[in-house]
Amino acid sequence: MSTNKPLPTATEISAPFWNGLKAGRLTIPQCKSCGHWIFFPRRHCDKCWSQDLEWKEVKGTGTLYTYTLTRIPTLPDFADEMPQKMAVVELDEGVRINTTLIGLDEGEVKVGMRVKPVFDTVKSDGTALLRFTAADKDFPSRIDSTPAALAAAAEAEAEPAAAKRQVRCDDEAAMKALVSDTFSPWSNQIVVDQALIDEFAKLSGDDYWIHTDPERARKQSPFGGTIAHGALVQVLQSRLRIPLDFEVVGFTNMVNYGSDRLRFPAPVPAGSRIHAHSRVKSVEKLPKGMQLTMEIVTHVVGSERPSVINDLVILYM
Amino acid sequence: MGLKGNAAIVGAAQYRPEKYATAPRMFHLEQVADLAGLALADAGLKASDIDGLVIHGPQFHEAQVFVPAMAAEYLGLSLNFAEVVDLGGCSSVAAVWRAAMAVEMGLCQAVLCVIPARMAPFGPDEDPSWMARAMRFGGHSTAFGAPEAEFDLPYGHMGQNTGYAMIAQRYAAKYGYDPVAMAKIAVDQRTNALANPDASFFGKPLSIEDVLASKMVAEPLRVLEIVMPVAGGAAVIVASKEVAARAKNRGACITGFGEHLSFKSPTYATEMTDTPIGPASERAFAMAGIKRSDIHAAQLYDCYTITVLLTLEDAGFAPKGEGMRWVREHDLTYKGNFPMNTHGGQLSFGQSGTAGGMSQVIEAFHQISGRAGERQLKRCDTVFVSGTGGVMSEQGALILQGA
Repeated sequence: MSTNKPLPTATEISAPFWNGLKAGRLTIPQCKSCGHWIFFPRRHCDKCWSQDLEWKEVKGTGTLYTYTLTRIPTLPDFADEMPQKMAVVELDEGVRINTTLIGLDEGEVKVGMRVKPVFDTVKSDGTALLRFTAADKDFPSRIDSTPAALAAAAEAEAEPAAAKRQVRCDDEAAMKALVSDTFSPWSNQIVVDQALIDEFAKLSGDDYWIHTDPERARKQSPFGGTIAHGALVQVLQSRLRIPLDFEVVGFTNMVNYGSDRLRFPAPVPAGSRIHAHSRVKSVEKLPKGMQLTMEIVTHVVGSERPSVINDLVILYM
Repeated sequence: MGLKGNAAIVGAAQYRPEKYATAPRMFHLEQVADLAGLALADAGLKASDIDGLVIHGPQFHEAQVFVPAMAAEYLGLSLNFAEVVDLGGCSSVAAVWRAAMAVEMGLCQAVLCVIPARMAPFGPDEDPSWMARAMRFGGHSTAFGAPEAEFDLPYGHMGQNTGYAMIAQRYAAKYGYDPVAMAKIAVDQRTNALANPDASFFGKPLSIEDVLASKMVAEPLRVLEIVMPVAGGAAVIVASKEVAARAKNRGACITGFGEHLSFKSPTYATEMTDTPIGPASERAFAMAGIKRSDIHAAQLYDCYTITVLLTLEDAGFAPKGEGMRWVREHDLTYKGNFPMNTHGGQLSFGQSGTAGGMSQVIEAFHQISGRAGERQLKRCDTVFVSGTGGVMSEQGALILQGA
């Protein structure tokens, strides 16, 4: 699974730390000469400069040294974590760690609170990050945040489909009553990964490197990685099931008439999850039938700026 | 130990802050020569007087290494001392004391301190990857083996905003927090900028309400408490007493300095609310042999309002933990009882990259040499200047006194 969030690259020095996280254990070096705990991992004790160190497993409990809640993501790729609960945790051993908090409401975050570790798998190869939650919180100590797992979890949590009102397409008053400024609830989520982008590039012939060359895009693209084609994200609307509380009935034919407005304001980085919601923007009675314009807006999960705005025109005949 | 005050700033130049998109594109070597020429003209000196160079090294467009030699060759100068500084926003203050040291040791008679901060024109084969990375990660290294690449970036810790916000949040938990006092720092500085036609926000008044209503970026910091990046560039000339005697302006003698750093991420500070400007200022005042109350103006590095607050406290102007009350009780404008960032500070002047800190040095010089226009203080013989790089990582202090 590709994602544009920066991921750690373990070194020979730090490998035991990252391998520990993969297994749900927190291990950090301790100086055998002076007993000082060392974080981040290095070859020497930053207190007495001895190189005689040993890796030890610790409980991972500590206190919240400080934090901030972001209202603008530190990178667009972190939009799905908004507000990011950026934190510094001081372990009971005395070392401090830059991290993020998880499983807490905004109001629950307090400097000095007791915290415990959460091992969060973020990549299909098992790479895990060390996050923290409140010590007294009933929250799992190991979670899976790979994009595929998050999309599946959103699917499982989705509201069961409500009973739908049936609206006859030739009932002009009832159809016009569907027009609303309020958007529907969100659809299911799907992951737009590199494999999907590559298939679309092949199909459409648009194989521009910003979509298809992760290595070059990582180095040269302002987005720090590949992004999906706008047109791909547009057609993926078919895989996003938007929970509408009505159903138009009574037509012999329904025609997709195209789009009144199609915009791609924000990119969808490879590996992102997307979802959509919609509203009925207008209804017009035409000689041929009833024309309904549905504004369908697709976002990267958590991102304020939409990735696709599509005023889809449907003609019921 | 330390300086005797025999070296003085005698000339200065800085580009007016401009938006990157509309500012002229110039090679960094070209900017160095242009700024040097302007600073020499300001001093009334000639190019052959210069025999030392201190230049900001990182992100120099035309070279990653051998920057001073390339600059000397381009300028057509013979140098007895050449130095690169790499201390982020602290580089300006750091350049000035290094230059003063070279002068007092007898290495040089006049040292050019210069930081170009306009963008260079892009060549046809330019590799834009460094810029793409810089745009994404700010001052954070993405290199293999860099601790911050491995232990900060994956969590979204990057750039400056969240680091400063976390310092502010810890301060709030320890000492309390008064958003109105923090807004007042930005507002008083704006009042100063209204008297500075070169400031980015000249002619644009600001109220406490405006600051408090501005967008929250990272709690508790709002967008009007954060500097706006602009294109610019600046230079000063630090000269010996003999050279200063034939310069046009009253010199600003460097009588004290201090510098302190021990981490890149404040997470690893002993206590992140006790900032490196503490020991740096202590040394500077002791070296100059003056008291805090001897200061006529303070030009404090102000990438964020919280930087100013902690500098006021840790440099010893306000009692620790009582800075917010102190700010409410003092008028920080050029008309007030504690004139601070009299040019508007970088918050209202604009932050021209690493040259931003030079705006504070140059304002101190302009005040001492009596050329600060409408905002000129009646008496200004002694000024405290601070510089801050990274996330309160590296800080420096200068005491400048009129010749």
